[in-house]
Amino acid sequence: MLQAIPVIVGIVTITFFLTDAIPGDPVQIMLGPSPSAEQAAAIRAKYGLDQPLWIRYINYLGDVSPVWIAPAASFPFFTPEFGVDLGRSLYYQVPVTQKIAERLPVTLLLMVSSFAFALVIAIPLGIISAQRRNEPTDHVSRVVALIGVSTPSFWIGLMLIMIFAFHLDVLPATSLVLPWADPASVDAATSRIDVLVVAGEHLLLPMVSLGTLQMAAITRIERSAMLEQLSEEYVQLARAYGVRERTILSKHAFRPAQLPVITIVGLQLTTAIGGAVLTETVFSINGMGRLIITAINNQDYPLVMGTTLVFGVVFVVGVILTDISYAYIDPRVSYGGDR
Amino acid sequence: MAHDSATDDGLTEDSVGTGTEPDVRGVESRVGAWNTLSQIRGDPTALAGLAIISVVTLVALIASVDYYLLDYWLAETFWVHPARDPQEVEILLPPVGLENDFGQGTWEHPLGTDHRGRDIAARLFYGTRIAMLVGFVSTVIGLVGGTLVGSVSGYYGGWVDDVLMRAVETLYAIPFLVLVIAFMAAFGRNLTYAMIGVGIASIPTFARLLRSRVVSVREEEYVAAARAAGVRTRWIILRHVVPNSFAPVLVQATLQIGLAILIVAGLSFLGFGAQPPTPSWGQMLNQSRDSMLPNPWFSIWPGLAILFTVVGFNLLGDGLRDALDPHIEEE
Repeated sequence: MLQAIPVIVGIVTITFFLTDAIPGDPVQIMLGPSPSAEQAAAIRAKYGLDQPLWIRYINYLGDVSPVWIAPAASFPFFTPEFGVDLGRSLYYQVPVTQKIAERLPVTLLLMVSSFAFALVIAIPLGIISAQRRNEPTDHVSRVVALIGVSTPSFWIGLMLIMIFAFHLDVLPATSLVLPWADPASVDAATSRIDVLVVAGEHLLLPMVSLGTLQMAAITRIERSAMLEQLSEEYVQLARAYGVRERTILSKHAFRPAQLPVITIVGLQLTTAIGGAVLTETVFSINGMGRLIITAINNQDYPLVMGTTLVFGVVFVVGVILTDISYAYIDPRVSYGGDR
Repeated sequence: MAHDSATDDGLTEDSVGTGTEPDVRGVESRVGAWNTLSQIRGDPTALAGLAIISVVTLVALIASVDYYLLDYWLAETFWVHPARDPQEVEILLPPVGLENDFGQGTWEHPLGTDHRGRDIAARLFYGTRIAMLVGFVSTVIGLVGGTLVGSVSGYYGGWVDDVLMRAVETLYAIPFLVLVIAFMAAFGRNLTYAMIGVGIASIPTFARLLRSRVVSVREEEYVAAARAAGVRTRWIILRHVVPNSFAPVLVQATLQIGLAILIVAGLSFLGFGAQPPTPSWGQMLNQSRDSMLPNPWFSIWPGLAILFTVVGFNLLGDGLRDALDPHIEEE
């Protein structure tokens, strides 16, 4: 877990310097094309933009890290600082953390549900495919998986909108409703049940759109991992003892076959985050993905850095979770040991 | 690991000190390439992929030769020139044989027209060029960068390995699309930076893959022999370690081209790819969003074009994987 720290510091560094290289003057964006010199200077001083680059970098690192020792002029020459401060959004004029707290749940809901969708479909599909190798069922599932990994997720989204929202008119095409939202804030909802139904309706299309790629990738891995396990000697031994094929699949081969699946789920996380940016755009969902695009378009430096950092942290947390589930499935892997 | 006598020849011909290195690799790599080719010859998956890629490449090449060739070849009415002044009226004709509010589809525009009355088929045609260019160039950037980092990191080990791998992990932890978008926002919104951005963002995949192979290859006897013979480290990496670790990287590169095409389509969809009026598939999909109701075909065709192309690379990648090494782990 300690290995995550240099990675996160690296993310902060890359985003800081990349964001700094974005052309254009943030002060102009805030004050219009021709601000007076005093106004501009005041804004620069307020946001620390008058400082040299490396000072701003060190300051930003200090703001971002939960614990930091800031140099001070008098004894004991440093003051400890606690808490995470991502700065203020230049465009929205609110703290970046507030904006992210608003948007992150939406994106997490979308991502978690799409992974759930992917796993629920992919695991049975992969197992059936492996079990009936080279039979028609296997061929169909392989073709589905191949098309799934080759289709742009946003195009699937467009097609789903076209079919289910425009032509059949059964599902909404835009925005997302959080299942824990206040019933009063949701249209035509009086109880928690109503909210859940509305949330489900809104979630369905984006979830399928984002989850299809994951589903296809996991199906392919599940199939090959299962095939590998089924060719192992212990399975043949079990067969020789007359253990039923169902039992072999569910009791013997299933567990070890999930290890490569977990690996791929971890690796798919970055793809899913990128996919979330596109899915949110297609479905006009106000999540982290659209936030970062607007932030880049508005040259909202603190917001760009904040969102990228949070994406990186989401990924790192995902990888740690993957490691933990590795240890859970395979007792030989002890968590905290070698990578 | 199969290894022929070519290396041994190189070792007897000790040329350290003369400054010229022994040319020992030619035979081996040719044999390797030939083996691969003959192995995929019997594999329907790889062949299907190769066929699709050939068709798409041919289309891309024809579209690249010159705009004029197409103009003369297909007569002006058939393809509305993609660079011509767009018509201001909305004419969203359906494909040939179908009918919508704007009229009947005709052979003049076999796949219909877009929101500016431009021929969709012609724009798809030109879009091929961009997709293939982006796919190949960005993958080559990722491949070269990743090979460099991965081989150095794997061969030297120690702190070099630690530093490089932490850097690679950091790059990997920033979501691909976000990294490329931030990169393009910083340096410029055009196709060149899209290619460089996607290339840099794909370095971690190649570096990690190659490193994992190099770590085992560097322990092979022929590497130890070369080292004992005093062959320069750079030369050992370049001529012995990398070629013998390259099979999974080649498979990954094939798949990566498909992935790059998908990602650049996504970038163009968000407005970060090729800028109008240059047609690209992702941009066409973005433009079609407001016209999906009157003419759904405007959104259907570019998606199918992407799907077709990427399926080609995935099929070839799968076929190559089976041919080169059945036990390569899937990443």
